[in-house]
Amino acid sequence: MQSLAQTRSASADFTERQTSPVLSAPLISTGTLTYTAPFYLRKTTASPTPEDFVLDHDKITLTSSQAGGTRVFTVNQDPRIAGLVEGIRGTLAGDLPALETFFNVSLSGNVTNWQLQLLPKTPALARFLRSITINGHQNDIDIIDTAGADGGDSRMSIRPITDAP
Amino acid sequence: MRRKVLGLWLLLLVVCGLIAARTNYRTDMGDFLPHSSSMAQQVLAGQVNGGAASHIVLLSLSGAPMPVLATLSDTLATSLRKQPGFLDVMNGGDASFAGVQNYVWQNRYLLSPGVTAAKFSAAGLHAALESDLSVLNSELGLALGQSLPSDPTGEMLLLLNQFSTTTGPAQQNGVWAAPDGSAALLLIHTAAPGFDLDTQQQALAQITTQFASSRAATPGAAAAALQMSGPGVFAVHIRDTTKADVSRLSMLALLGAAGLLAFAYRSPRVLLLGLLPIASGAFAAIAAVSLAFGFVHGITLGFGVTLIGESLDYAIYLFTQTGRGERPGETLSRIWPTLRLGALTSSAGFCAMLFSSFTGFAQLGLFSIAGLVAAAATTRFVLPHFVPQDFFAGGADTLAKPLHVLIRHKRAGRGLLVTAFIAAIILLLLHRGGMWDGNLLDLSPISASDQRLDQTLRQDLAVPDQRYFAVFTAPDEQQALQKSEALAPVLNGLVAARELGGFDLPSAILPSQATQRADQAALPDAATLHENFAQATSGLPFNPTAFAPFFKDVVAARTAPLLTAASLPPALALQYDSLLTRNGSSWVVMVPLHDVIDPAGIASVLKKSGPDFVDLNQESDRLLGNFQHQAVMLAVAGSLAILLLLWLGLRSVQRVVAVAAPLAAAVTITAAVLTLGGAKLSIFMVAGFLLIVAIGSNYCLFFERSQPGTKEYPRAVASIVLANLCTVAAYGLLSFSRIPVLHDIGLTVALGTFLSLLCGALLSTKPAP
Repeated sequence: MQSLAQTRSASADFTERQTSPVLSAPLISTGTLTYTAPFYLRKTTASPTPEDFVLDHDKITLTSSQAGGTRVFTVNQDPRIAGLVEGIRGTLAGDLPALETFFNVSLSGNVTNWQLQLLPKTPALARFLRSITINGHQNDIDIIDTAGADGGDSRMSIRPITDAP
Repeated sequence: MRRKVLGLWLLLLVVCGLIAARTNYRTDMGDFLPHSSSMAQQVLAGQVNGGAASHIVLLSLSGAPMPVLATLSDTLATSLRKQPGFLDVMNGGDASFAGVQNYVWQNRYLLSPGVTAAKFSAAGLHAALESDLSVLNSELGLALGQSLPSDPTGEMLLLLNQFSTTTGPAQQNGVWAAPDGSAALLLIHTAAPGFDLDTQQQALAQITTQFASSRAATPGAAAAALQMSGPGVFAVHIRDTTKADVSRLSMLALLGAAGLLAFAYRSPRVLLLGLLPIASGAFAAIAAVSLAFGFVHGITLGFGVTLIGESLDYAIYLFTQTGRGERPGETLSRIWPTLRLGALTSSAGFCAMLFSSFTGFAQLGLFSIAGLVAAAATTRFVLPHFVPQDFFAGGADTLAKPLHVLIRHKRAGRGLLVTAFIAAIILLLLHRGGMWDGNLLDLSPISASDQRLDQTLRQDLAVPDQRYFAVFTAPDEQQALQKSEALAPVLNGLVAARELGGFDLPSAILPSQATQRADQAALPDAATLHENFAQATSGLPFNPTAFAPFFKDVVAARTAPLLTAASLPPALALQYDSLLTRNGSSWVVMVPLHDVIDPAGIASVLKKSGPDFVDLNQESDRLLGNFQHQAVMLAVAGSLAILLLLWLGLRSVQRVVAVAAPLAAAVTITAAVLTLGGAKLSIFMVAGFLLIVAIGSNYCLFFERSQPGTKEYPRAVASIVLANLCTVAAYGLLSFSRIPVLHDIGLTVALGTFLSLLCGALLSTKPAP
């Protein structure tokens, strides 16, 4: 966790593979992730549909060409969104107290191959999220697995572009 | 004759007592306000008194770390939800919104403004599914994707955005919290409105009890403390303060006056007899107001009794002026013309109040007149029959000694008085502005710290300010809802233009029947829906069998019974009732407008589409201004009526001046002293001035009628002094009250009547022969 907290800013390419009971085939999307410690996270999806997701402190801005323009949320508006967003941001920032607000956190493996498992604490979160599992080495994140309660899941593979310690 | 008179008095007393016992007593401020005010004012008064806002109780839990407070908040909320007496209990946790969310979810196809035939066509559904795909793809896909099998067209999201226009309070550990994390916050709607004090008190007691047991059940919460605020909390608090003050102070006042009377009379029987006129007067006054208005306001009752305090003096004049060996009947026939003129003068003063547009003032006027007339009649016809033979108020002379000293040095005293009068006038003339108390809150008995707590809690809980409203009327509920629906695009335009933060329309909670029917007609039947959906999914990676819940819900909505006010969950029913109220034969819709940026701009936009724009602050300022204006007019009209009556009774300008001049001096000096002391003139002080004139005029009349040197003269002076000392003792004690009304009246009357005594002695006393 401490080594993750040392990362001040980072950019990475990602590929995400998503399944859902409502889908007949998995969705594959690609794009870039940008992170500036500790409160700014941006996920820009390039394909299949361009989309921009920005988390700045507690404000979420979602811009989508397909879903119709820009929508602004606050993290606290919905406990589901808060849990999901804090799970990723808290891991990137190495912010254990923030993670423990929403999850039971367990860490396994060693420095070269670690695994962080987040299990939802609150019933509200557990109703749609089963777990978030993050695999990484040193202070890099490799894979984020998110398992939904409805049987859907997503696997995001991350490859760093630049890495400023 | 004696038996007949007493029989009649007893009969009247019983009748008045019966009426008083069956009277409807109200404490609602709306009933005290003008009966001729504008519709907007009346509805606003109703809103303030019984609207959804009056059901709100705000709770703050502090004194422990946030995670502990969060657990405590959840435990308390869960236990309160099981109690009767609460419409909803919200702490930010999941269950807080369950009732509303359930209603919206169940009825999304009847409620949503997005239901059109085009949206449920193959092309419309295809567009919706494409949008769903991008939502699934997004970072929030997992959260938002859950409802897709039941709601692929996204009606719920549309409705939730419409319902929550504000971002809501801050959350910590899954509950609402103060931004600095020092307290967990809850917002409760009680079933009882804020003015239903007994039920409110029960609800508050339930909260306190449940808090204590929740605290005991939560580890680490031993030091946690509960703070409550809200209209009901204030109302109950004020009632407790009033009860405590009134019972404690009036007991002390009674003891003070009774002590003086016991010293003067040296007869417990006569002391008790002295209460007969005021007691009979109070019963008659309640009966008269009840018969004339159909109800008696709480303020009328509390305040009215202080206004007829003068009737205690009637018995004092009779008992004290009875000479040694004189029969009370003889005394009475001697002093009755003066007493009668005094009572009539006071009644004339209060007469002006009868014509006030403020129901409360009119009630007070009638209360005083009926009370004084009945008290005077009791003194005249009943009291003499009960006074013991050879009664003589032996102690009164001692009390009057200082005043005789003053009268002996009349010349020097007059010089001093004229100087004080001129100084007072100069002071009042030089005093620039700010003499009137313009802040409505200063009249409120709520302490400044309680007001601060309330403001903080409201801010932290994001309770919207209820200042601006769009108001319109309609002949029936359905037309009101249709007008409300027509207003939605106008207001949405203002929100989009960032001139308005948000608004609450009744049609968002309950669309008109016409709209609901149109929504049902827009939904396709089962076969068409399946066919359209199959076409819509072509080319998209969706699994149509996963959408069975959607097909079922749409088909059910087509034939579902239409929603009515009875379908609403309690929290929404409460909100609906305060947005849409019945006012006589028409329906009034009051739409709260939040975060108004440019009031004038919004007013002009609204004007074009129909509704009135109402600024609550402006209305209440206008109301207060009107209140003050009327109070002054009543005081002036009352004074003129008193002068006229004095002239009719005395038939001599010189004698009228001898009686009126001391009163003018006393009131002027009182006003100057109060202003000098930093007090701002309140409407209650103006009523106090009227009371000074009413009580003081009796003193002056007796001074003016009594010839120094006669054997009756010392008795008259003794009776005036005794009457004044009792008044000063009683009203002086009231000035220690924490309630502005009682404090202001007490101070003004105690000071003013004492000055009336001095001025009357100096200016009204006839020259010695």
